[in-house]
Amino acid sequence: MADVRDILDLETPAAPEVTKEAILGSDKRARKRPENTRTSKRPEGMNREVYALIRQDNNVVPPLYPTDTGKGYSKIKAKLGMKRVRAWEWTPFTNPARTDGAIFHHWRRVVDAGKEYPFAVFNKKVPIPTYTHTEYVQHLVTSGWTEAETDHLFDLCKRFDLRFIIIHDRWDKKFTARSVEDLKNRYYQVCASLNKVKNQHEKIYHYDYEHEKKRKEQLKKLFERTQKQVEEEQTLLIELRKIEQRKKERDRKTQDLQKLITAADNQTETKKNDRKSSKKTNTTSRQKVSRSDSTNTGKLHVAEPTGIKFPDVKNSGVSLRSQRIKLPSSLGQKKMKGIEQTLVELNIDSNPPPTEQICQQFNELRSDIVLHYELKQALNTCNFELQSLRHQYEAMLPGQTLTIPPSLLPDQSVNKTDAAGSTTGATNA
Amino acid sequence: MASLSNEFGPDSGGRTKGVTIVKPIVFGNVARFFGKKREEDGHTHQWTVYVKPYLNEDMSGYVKKVHFKLHESYNNPNRIVTKAPFELTETGWGEFEIAIKIYFHDPNERHVTMYHILKLFHHTTTDVRVTKHHLVSEFYDEIIFHDPTALMVHLLNATKVFGPGIGKHETNFEEKKEKSLKAIMDAKEKIRKEVTEYKEKLTLAKETIAKFKEKIAQQSKSGAGSI
Repeated sequence: MADVRDILDLETPAAPEVTKEAILGSDKRARKRPENTRTSKRPEGMNREVYALIRQDNNVVPPLYPTDTGKGYSKIKAKLGMKRVRAWEWTPFTNPARTDGAIFHHWRRVVDAGKEYPFAVFNKKVPIPTYTHTEYVQHLVTSGWTEAETDHLFDLCKRFDLRFIIIHDRWDKKFTARSVEDLKNRYYQVCASLNKVKNQHEKIYHYDYEHEKKRKEQLKKLFERTQKQVEEEQTLLIELRKIEQRKKERDRKTQDLQKLITAADNQTETKKNDRKSSKKTNTTSRQKVSRSDSTNTGKLHVAEPTGIKFPDVKNSGVSLRSQRIKLPSSLGQKKMKGIEQTLVELNIDSNPPPTEQICQQFNELRSDIVLHYELKQALNTCNFELQSLRHQYEAMLPGQTLTIPPSLLPDQSVNKTDAAGSTTGATNA
Repeated sequence: MASLSNEFGPDSGGRTKGVTIVKPIVFGNVARFFGKKREEDGHTHQWTVYVKPYLNEDMSGYVKKVHFKLHESYNNPNRIVTKAPFELTETGWGEFEIAIKIYFHDPNERHVTMYHILKLFHHTTTDVRVTKHHLVSEFYDEIIFHDPTALMVHLLNATKVFGPGIGKHETNFEEKKEKSLKAIMDAKEKIRKEVTEYKEKLTLAKETIAKFKEKIAQQSKSGAGSI
């Protein structure tokens, strides 16, 4: 029943429909029925099958959301074929581009009858200047071009609408062979001189013969590269990128180095200040103490860019003191291992009884250890760089060398290997 | 106790700002070897894990209960002790980590958790069964009450003190503290000295590198000129 109504696009009647159940008189169904029709109304435009899938029998409203897009569920379809069909007619036509006046036929709307062939507008002609023999003798004589040749060129230009590639192709073999650039150059030269003579204020095209020639040469070269050459270029580019990257890295390293040195500076300074202030408290010069104290605290804030940043536990609540000496996980495995090892070397318990003083000192110690570790690392890289620089120098100037300050040579073992290296270098030289 | 919580209420004015109370504690375990493997269950040791105040005072004044979480293989591994002394005696044959949670009388204060590795064996001696005297593994820590609740302040300040000074402990923590601090200070001095040394070396290295580079640059320039 409902389907028929859908097809006929009829509104649901207000009166309860006459169903099989109603006729059979099944009370239960009859009571349920009106509820059902009221709560779940199929959105306009939705397929019946789709709606059946989302609808549930137990009276639940399907998960549809009201929208303001207008008509119902589906997109509005384009309504085609609503107007009357316009008449078309098999008509003859001539193309003005043709000179022979040939007649062809095509379908055309009756409304458009009598109008010109619509594609005639695309029939553009390039205006090619003309010249007489006297004009040629007076103005257009140049070395390398005869009049007959120039005439032939202009004829071809007219015939092929300045398509110089075709002109070049059709160039009469009885004349000397010319390149496309030669032809173009000659054409534009003649045009320019004629323009000047006739005082026509037309646009003068300037043709840069040399530039064009070079451009084509370059393109040709680019086109004719072999696979090998292409690959070589690629590798060179990669090399260049690597070199630049290395340079950047070096710069960064030197910056890091500077940072470390300043960090160490700050640390030693704070230490000195500590000593000074403690001495001065003994000698009771109050003013100076307070000043050194202030500089001291000021330094302390900038003091540790490297080292460990222990989290500040300021939250209210209960906590264990031993939490204060936990290393932050942001430190990284490598440094943690380093700290652990140094503590073992120094014979210090990695888990001291955490009083306030011990916690503070222990944290400071480990922060210093990290700085120590980083400085050592930096010194190693510096030493390496010194060695390589020396080798470079020796390679440039055989027999001469640069002296590395002895205090920088890390220890005896490195010294030995270095000596061995330099002797082998000498024998090689 | 009930009257107290009523007096201060469950949220009696929140926390007392700027107050920090520190309660030092000792936690750990003692263990005693039976002398042989027990026939019925294979247990070899009797041990006691404990939390006690470092000072000679009554911890139950502010601690409501202590929760010891034993190894899963124990019957009912979550043991809760609600009265002082906060300790638990068991027997076993293996070492494992015990999570110790201390809960406070004020439910607004979060509990604190410590982890203790139960020690049964002397690792230095090759044969553990030879050692007759009992073994101790205990640690010092401090519970910090930062901005405690009003109820907690009251409880912490009203802690019953049994006697002056430090309670009786197996380990002399005062000595240990002193030694640790001295060792740390000495180490710090040493490291700082080395840091200064390294810094001087590094500055020198940096200058030398710059010098070398300059020389090489000069050389390459003059070399290019001659060619």
